[in-house]
Amino acid sequence: MTVETRDLTKYYWMGKEKVVALDSVNLKMEEGAFISVVGPSGSGKSTLLNVIGCLDAPTKGEVYLAGWKVDYRNKKSLVRLRRKFVGFVFQTFNLIPALNAVENVEYPMYFNKEGRSKSERRESAMKLLDMVGLEKRANHLPSELSGGELQRIAIARALANDPKLILADEPTGNLDSRTGKSILNLLTRLNNEEGKNIIMVTHDLESAKKMSKIIRILDGRILE
Amino acid sequence: MKELFSLACRQLGRKKLRVFLIVLGIAIGVAAVIGVTSLGEGIRVQAVDQIKASHDLTTIEVSAGVEDGSVTLITDSKLKAIEREEHVLFVAPYVKDSYVAQNNTYLAVKGITSEYRRVQSNLQLEIGDWFDEGKKSNEIVLGYDVAKRLAVVEDLGLGDEFTVKIRLYGEESRLKDKPAVFKIAGILKSAGDEHDNQVFIDIKHAKELDEKDSYDGLFVKVDDPAFAASVRDKIEGLGLTAHSAQDVIDEVNKLMVAITLVLGFFSGISLVVGALMVVNTMIISVYERTKEIGLSKALGASDFDIMKMFLAECVIIGVIGGILGDLLGIGFSVLIDLVGKPFLVSALGGELGAGLQLGSITVVTPGILAAGFAISVVLSIVSGLYPARRAARLNPLDALRQI
Repeated sequence: MTVETRDLTKYYWMGKEKVVALDSVNLKMEEGAFISVVGPSGSGKSTLLNVIGCLDAPTKGEVYLAGWKVDYRNKKSLVRLRRKFVGFVFQTFNLIPALNAVENVEYPMYFNKEGRSKSERRESAMKLLDMVGLEKRANHLPSELSGGELQRIAIARALANDPKLILADEPTGNLDSRTGKSILNLLTRLNNEEGKNIIMVTHDLESAKKMSKIIRILDGRILE
Repeated sequence: MKELFSLACRQLGRKKLRVFLIVLGIAIGVAAVIGVTSLGEGIRVQAVDQIKASHDLTTIEVSAGVEDGSVTLITDSKLKAIEREEHVLFVAPYVKDSYVAQNNTYLAVKGITSEYRRVQSNLQLEIGDWFDEGKKSNEIVLGYDVAKRLAVVEDLGLGDEFTVKIRLYGEESRLKDKPAVFKIAGILKSAGDEHDNQVFIDIKHAKELDEKDSYDGLFVKVDDPAFAASVRDKIEGLGLTAHSAQDVIDEVNKLMVAITLVLGFFSGISLVVGALMVVNTMIISVYERTKEIGLSKALGASDFDIMKMFLAECVIIGVIGGILGDLLGIGFSVLIDLVGKPFLVSALGGELGAGLQLGSITVVTPGILAAGFAISVVLSIVSGLYPARRAARLNPLDALRQI
């Protein structure tokens, strides 16, 4: 899936002060690309991810997902786009504490059943857990698992509806460097073997360089 | 749907104490309403039972009809029409008049048939015999008190004959006193009602003496209480006035239902507290799970999906609250019966209290329990609407940012 932004601009007001999060960002992403976005805190990295992921609306400019222009005023179509095309991975994992591992992976399928029965959904969730190497932890609650395991489950969850695009916001930020590497390897594998488009926000420039194209962002602008 | 509720159960399962307290809050409100309503219902049933025990529901009392100033008399043809009605076993007509004995003793006279004695089964002879029906005899039967009075004032006893004056209104309203001779054939035991002050003679004889061709009233006996109302309606259709014990029961029912509604309404105020608890708890829950809501939206949940999740939790709270409320309500009504009955019995005293002593003063019907359950569920859902809407409208980004 291609991703393209045209003149993407986003600012918001903090009291009377205008904060520019994105300033005319033009980005083109080819089918099956892996992009790492690096930059200091508050440079607009996360905002870029949220706007592309249809969680946030831009002030100006357009986003094209697979060539289709995103209509940010149409709430229903935003929900549909999130369901079908986007999988989110967060820095803080964000698993639902009441649900065990496999149920967490299943959770997005509940909103996007597409005619899949409960057992079919359970089966594909188990397959995804298997893929991230955690099928043995299927019945564990998040409180019983380590940070690395939680992030693997979160990645499996991001894949639940088979999206073309994975948006990962500092997925290794809360992990030690060894665990972080294994998560990056997992993402690389998804990019190579499954052909997923990945946009990752990260601080770990060295690791990112090895596996992806780097985009630097400062004060809402892309530095070339 | 099943998945929605199983998810809701899981969420509630994480906060067992909180859910228990909120459910208890609703259940106590429901129980209070059930208890009070069962008391109203119990007293209603008791009152109706007492009326049924002391009144004959198969008897309809008919008198002349009065409408817009015109009077419809009970003539022989009306009597025949009533007798022909379905479910009517027999009709007992009577005429009333007052005669005056020699020493100015006033006698309330009733001309009756043997059917009248079948309806008024408390008319029992102490001595002597009833007059032969249909034969023109001058025999009379005295009520208990009349017999006593005649013995003292007129010095008359069983078998004695005496003369009375019958006052008639002749043509042009001219008064005419007509003498008649009666023989005392029997004396009744005390019946404990107005019959003790009456003198009974054969109806044919009475009509002849009074020169009347209509009846002053009649009792209609039907074969089954269930048909009393329809027969009564038909009698009223003839232009006559009809009463039955069912009228009294209807009045009691109306009154008790009204009282129960008022009491139930005020005890329902405790339900408001329960509802506020639900609102409060759900708002706290939305606040606590803000991040989870944002996450769900990022993962593809629509506003409606989020709303459904919270409302499902409210439904579960309502269902548990309803069941618990019903159980507590039954317990509450038993308690009212145990504690309240001795108090009521001593307060009312006499016959009324003794009547209460036998049965239970509270009655829990399936209808009351179903209403209690429904109140709990509906209340929980309504209380959850605002918090659920609030959850659904959260901006996913703001929600995700919250720590």
